[in-house]
Amino acid sequence: MTDTRDLTQRPDAPRRRFLGFLSVLLGGLGGLGLARQPQAPGTAPRDRPLKEADFYRPHDLAG
Amino acid sequence: MSAVACELCPRACVIPEGAAGDCRVRVNIGGKLRATTYGRPSAIHIDPMEKKPLYHFHPGTQVFSLGTAGCNLHCLNCQNWQLSQRGGDEIEEVYPAEPAEVVAAAQGERCRGVAYTYSDPVVFYEYVEDTATLARAAGLANVFVTAAYINREPLRRLCRVLDAAHGDLKAFDDGFYRRVSGATLRPVLDALVTFREEGVWIEIINLVIPTLNDDLAMIRRMARWIVAELGADTPLHFSRFQPQYRMRNLPPTPVETLRRARAEALDAGLRYVYVGNVQGDVGSSTYCPRDGTLLIGRSGFTITDYKLTAEGRCPTCNDKIPGVWL
Repeated sequence: MTDTRDLTQRPDAPRRRFLGFLSVLLGGLGGLGLARQPQAPGTAPRDRPLKEADFYRPHDLAG
Repeated sequence: MSAVACELCPRACVIPEGAAGDCRVRVNIGGKLRATTYGRPSAIHIDPMEKKPLYHFHPGTQVFSLGTAGCNLHCLNCQNWQLSQRGGDEIEEVYPAEPAEVVAAAQGERCRGVAYTYSDPVVFYEYVEDTATLARAAGLANVFVTAAYINREPLRRLCRVLDAAHGDLKAFDDGFYRRVSGATLRPVLDALVTFREEGVWIEIINLVIPTLNDDLAMIRRMARWIVAELGADTPLHFSRFQPQYRMRNLPPTPVETLRRARAEALDAGLRYVYVGNVQGDVGSSTYCPRDGTLLIGRSGFTITDYKLTAEGRCPTCNDKIPGVWL
């Protein structure tokens, strides 16, 4: 049989590339998740005038 | 640097300088305890009184309702967790409003009163007290919607300006309180009795959660306790659980379970027992305990019939029906 393995690469190189890709992907998704939080850490609440509040807006709060 | 002890609720937090109590909103600033959400409500709505739910208190009127961030309970099934389980600086929007502005807005919208609700108003106690004082002077009613996890002395003081309370009795089981809400039962019972002692109109709600607190024997014990300590005329509302927040593994409460709970509580001696969160159920209306006359018909938060006399009596037998009527 012919051995077709590329002997210039370490045997675990494809696995390392895959793990690297996975790290970048998960890191990106995590960053996106943080950025899209309703209230990103360290951000102050937005103060709005009382007259801008729609008191009659339907809501699903209990109580 | 000095720590401060918060004596408002049974948690008795000892708060180091710069830190917050368990509720996230009562903070030690320079050795003084401050409520960071004073004058900073994040939820403001005008709701029917029936939504609180209060069925024997100014039925059919509107109530100016507000809540701030923070809570001193951490219920796994919290419906308002996006408000209650956040600190004052973790919330998206705030509508800064001094007590006088709240009262003026409530009057401007012709509301019957102001409700302190959505999160537990215990944690914005000072804001409630100041607003309620002005509201009462302006002829508005004050409604406190609470899980009643508060010490007796501060509650007694607050009761001077409260007209009605809606008390959440989550289960008649201390283990349930510890597992589901991170609290204990005894202080809640004491607070409910305090409302009664101080002359505040009170109605009780019990959210029935399948397998956790739907045992009929426990419901009977709870109803008997209400009869003995708060009186047989205290309205009790059984409400339907919906899976949410950190309790999505259980199904909604079967309507039949709520009906059985209602029957059990009536049998235990309570005279006004309701089924909530079930549109149009017969258990959402008020009937005369003596002769069964329909007194107030309800569908959702809407009143479909109103047959009480002007003096709040049954039109058939003339019995006085307990409550604060129109």
